[in-house]
Amino acid sequence: MSEEQKKTEEQKRTEEREAARELISNAEEIGTETAAAETTARDEDDENKGFRKYKIKDIVFLAIMAAAMLVTGCVMPFAGRIPVFGMTQLCLSLQFSVLPAIGLMKVRKAGSLLLMSLFAGVVLVFMDVIMFACLAFCALVAEAAVLLVFRGYRKDAACFFAAWIYFPLSMPFVYVWNLAISAEITGALNPWYVKAAMCAAVVALCCIGALVGVKIGREMRKSGALKK
Amino acid sequence: MKPTRRKLYPLVAVLSGVFVIVFGLVTAKTLACTFFLCGVFVWLSLFGCLKSCLRMLPGFIPAGAAFVGLTYLLSGDAGAALAMGNRLGALCLGMIPGVNTDPVRMTRSLSRVHTPRAVTLGMLIALSFVPMLRGEIRRVREAMRTRGAGSVLNPKIFYRAFLIPLVMRLVNISDTLALSVETRGFTLGKAPYTIYKKEKPAPSDFLYVLGLLAGAAAAILL
Repeated sequence: MSEEQKKTEEQKRTEEREAARELISNAEEIGTETAAAETTARDEDDENKGFRKYKIKDIVFLAIMAAAMLVTGCVMPFAGRIPVFGMTQLCLSLQFSVLPAIGLMKVRKAGSLLLMSLFAGVVLVFMDVIMFACLAFCALVAEAAVLLVFRGYRKDAACFFAAWIYFPLSMPFVYVWNLAISAEITGALNPWYVKAAMCAAVVALCCIGALVGVKIGREMRKSGALKK
Repeated sequence: MKPTRRKLYPLVAVLSGVFVIVFGLVTAKTLACTFFLCGVFVWLSLFGCLKSCLRMLPGFIPAGAAFVGLTYLLSGDAGAALAMGNRLGALCLGMIPGVNTDPVRMTRSLSRVHTPRAVTLGMLIALSFVPMLRGEIRRVREAMRTRGAGSVLNPKIFYRAFLIPLVMRLVNISDTLALSVETRGFTLGKAPYTIYKKEKPAPSDFLYVLGLLAGAAAAILL
């Protein structure tokens, strides 16, 4: 084979290699663009769904909020022994509305409130068994109400509503339990006006707490901390 | 009987704690409940919870005395005071097995019974994050003192100088933690996984449960 033929073959190979490389890079670019477009479309599609898949960061954030609820709720076993109806709820109403509201403002997915209740319930079950069962049930009712009224947590009002009604809903259940188990000590036999006043106080405090939680959520979103 | 150093199987510990609390609440008005709770104290001490039992006493004795005394003063009924003491005792004793359980062991046991990964991860974080959160609260309060922010009892100062920095810190920690969990290959899907150390109930766990049930039966029947 002559020197010239060798050179021509070498040149051909180099050209082929370059063409193949360009083809690959072009295909990769197209693939990335398509994948990015697909992801964006999927995200947008996902945003409009009522039930969305949870990501690890959602679970972690909800668990941390639940831990915060637990730390602030450690007065529960002692507050529950004070013979005034709804004393536990009164002591915990602020933190049990602020923290769920913040959690819901970040993780706007159906089931967030229930997950928070379950995570907090791991320890709560030792402080007050009925409170754990109550909170899980109340979370379910609150979630159902939000899905019926707002069709999800897209609006801030939905987060506020869920955080507001979540804790006061536990009062009727606790009342029935107290009446059955330890009426004279837990305040289930208090006069009606005491019960009414305590219920009103809990509802008002939860409303304030939910408002504060939503306000904090908005501030965090504005600062970029609550990014999706 | 020689006290065992082996800790209770996590699921047994949790369920026994709930059983003690519920049984204590239901039978609180009887003297038999007091004897049952004393028996549970001894039983827990024998099954690896001696330290937790002793650590609980300095808190329980003054709080119990205060609540029992107040109940007696308010109602004048010794039975109500006894019920109050029993309830507090059941609560404190019911908490011991759970407090004594390592969160990691609990997660492993739950994974073995095929609990969803999201639930076990959340429970693990919620359980192990509590001491860390206390540290964060202390740090935010120290920062407030350093800046001379004022009293935490003032709602405006509490909101701006305490609540917002704390939530901000929690959000940052959660982002880092989520990233850390993801980089270790944790997924929420149906991917196969293995358990590093498999937790199994030991014969001592069965003995513990039997003793507890026998104590409860004795408290009801005798």
